[in-house]
Amino acid sequence: MKTIHIFIIFIIVVLIQLFIPFQMIFNQETILEKGTVYKFKTQPVDPTDPFKGKYINLNYEINTYKTNDSLWQRNEVIYVYLVEDSLGFAKIDTINRALISNNSNDYIKAKVRWYSNYSNELSIELPFNRYYMEETKAYDAEVAVRNRQRDSLPNNTHALVYIKDGETVLNDVIIDNISIKDYVEKDDSE
Amino acid sequence: MNSKIQKDINELVAEQVITEDTASKIVSYYRSKQHDSPNRLFTVFAVLGSTLVGLGMILILAHNWDDFSRTVKTIFAFVPLVIGQIVVGYSILKNKSATWKEASGVFLFFAVGASMALVSQIYNIPGDLSDYLLTWILLCLPLIYLLRSNALVLLQIIFITSYACSFGYFSGNRTPWLYLIVLASLLPHYYKLLKQKKSHNITSVLNWLLPLSIVIVTGAFVRGDGNFGFLIYVLLFGLLYNIGKIPFFNNQKLRRNGYLVLGSLGTIYMLMLTSFKWLWEDIYINRLNFNSQAFYIAVVLFCLTLVVVVYSYSKKWIRDFNLFQYAFLFFIGFFMISLVTMETSVVLINLLILTLGIMAVKIGADTFHFGVLNYGLLIVTILIACRFFDTNMSFVLRGLLFVGVGIGFFLTNYVMLKKQKTLKRKL
Repeated sequence: MKTIHIFIIFIIVVLIQLFIPFQMIFNQETILEKGTVYKFKTQPVDPTDPFKGKYINLNYEINTYKTNDSLWQRNEVIYVYLVEDSLGFAKIDTINRALISNNSNDYIKAKVRWYSNYSNELSIELPFNRYYMEETKAYDAEVAVRNRQRDSLPNNTHALVYIKDGETVLNDVIIDNISIKDYVEKDDSE
Repeated sequence: MNSKIQKDINELVAEQVITEDTASKIVSYYRSKQHDSPNRLFTVFAVLGSTLVGLGMILILAHNWDDFSRTVKTIFAFVPLVIGQIVVGYSILKNKSATWKEASGVFLFFAVGASMALVSQIYNIPGDLSDYLLTWILLCLPLIYLLRSNALVLLQIIFITSYACSFGYFSGNRTPWLYLIVLASLLPHYYKLLKQKKSHNITSVLNWLLPLSIVIVTGAFVRGDGNFGFLIYVLLFGLLYNIGKIPFFNNQKLRRNGYLVLGSLGTIYMLMLTSFKWLWEDIYINRLNFNSQAFYIAVVLFCLTLVVVVYSYSKKWIRDFNLFQYAFLFFIGFFMISLVTMETSVVLINLLILTLGIMAVKIGADTFHFGVLNYGLLIVTILIACRFFDTNMSFVLRGLLFVGVGIGFFLTNYVMLKKQKTLKRKL
C-alpha cells in the first residue's frame, strides 16, 4: 500500500479518535444547556478509578422504589419518571420498562440492581453516581459530609443533575448551599 | 560482535584450524547479522519511554485539577491526543523508521485513553470500566496495521484481556464475544510475524501472550452450566498442546513455544484438579445441562482440536505416540463415564496422570532432556501428594511411596547422566 493511502486511512482514524470525545462533550453540553435541573438528596463515599482518578460515589435517597411487580431482571434498562417534592427535591413518580407516552414528566434511563421480595422494593442504579474530585479533596468530602450529619441538622446534601430526554449530567454536589469543592476548603480552613 | 566469538576466532586462526580468509568471512557474517541490533534496542527503549510518558500523563490528568475551568480542562483533554496524532501522521507521511512508528503509536494509544478519561471526569460520566476499555481498544485498532507496530499488538492483547475479564468476570457476568473479534483482527499481523520474523523475540513473546490471554478469558465463556468448565479447559489445553506440536513451533526452542508449555502444564493441572473425588460429587449432584452455551463452546473446542490432530496426521507430523496429545480424548471418555459411575472415572483419571508422568520420563530419557525427565517425575510426585489428602492409605505405605519416588529421581537422573557421558565419549 502506498504511503499516501496509509496516510488517508490514518486521517480517518484521527477523525474518529477526535469525534468520540467531542461527541461525549457535545452530548453533555446539550443536556447542561437545554435540560431541566433536579436536586437529588445524597451521601458520598470515596473510591478510585485507575484511569480517571478519585471520585466520590453518591448514594441517593431515592434509589429504591416500592412496587409489587417482582419480575425485574438484573441490569434491565428502566425509565424512572420524576416529580419534585414540596422541598424541591427529586422524587420518583413512577418506574416503567418502556417510555410512557402520556407522562410528560422528566425521566431518567437507569438500570435495575435487584428486587427484594421481602420488602417489595426495587433497587435502582442511577446513571450519575460518580462525582470526580481533585485527589486531595475526595476523602475530605466524605468526612465533611459525615461530620455535617453528626450536627443533627436535616440532611441537605444534594446533587444537581441536568436531565434531558432520559440522559443526565451531574453538574455539582451541594452541601449547605455551597459546592462540595468549596465546602471542603472551608472545612479545612476552620 | 560478541567479544567471546572474536576471541575464539583468533584462537582458531592461531591454532591453524581455520584460515585468515575464513576468519574474516566469519567476522563479516556476524557484523552483517548484527547490523540492525542497536537499532532494535533503541526501539525497545523508545517504546518503554512512550509507555511511561503515556501512563504518567494519564495519572497527572487523573489528579482532577479543580483550579482549572471546564474549558481549560477540555483543552487539556485534547492536547496529548492531537500531539500524538501529529507525530504519528508525520512518521507515516515521511515513512520514518520502525522506532519512530512504534514509539509514536504507543504514545497515541495512551493519549486516546487519557483524553476519554478526562472527558468522563469533566462531565462525571460514570460508565463501566469495560465500556471505556473497549472504546479505547477499538479506536486504536487500525493503528496496528497503519504503523505495522508490534508494541501496539502487545498493548492491544493486554487491554483486550483486561476488557474481557472486566466484562465477563467482574461486572455483570456477560460473555465477552467482542474479545474474539478483536483477537481475530490481530491475527493477520501475528501470522505475518510468524512467516517473516519467526525467531525474533517479539514473535516468541506473542507465542506466549496469545495463548495465555485465551486461557485467562476462556472462563468467561462458560455460561449456562459451570460443570462443563473442566471439560472446556482440558479441551483448550489439548488444543494448545497440539498447536505447539506442529513442527513449525515444535522445532523451535521450548522457551519460544508457549503453546506447548502452557498446553502441557494446563493439561496436568486440570487433570490433577479433577483427580479429586469431591469435585465430581458436585457435578454429580448438579445434573449436566446439554442445552447450554458452555456445552456448545466445548463442542467447538473439541472440533478445533480434532481438526488440528487430524491435519497433523495427514501431514505425517505425528510419528511417535505421545499421550499428551490425546489426553483430552481420554478425558472426554472419563467425563462421560462419570455420568454413570463417578468412582471409575476418578480412578481412570489417576491412571491417566500416572501414565502421562511415566511418558514424560520416557520422552526425557529418549531425548536426553533433563527438564522433561524431571517434569515427568514431578507429575508423579504431585499425584502422590494429592492422594495424600483424600485416600485412606496407611502412613507406612504413603511413606514408602514417597521414598520410592525420591529414589526414582536420583536413579533416573544418575543413569541418564552416565548414559550421556558414555555417548559423548564414543563421539
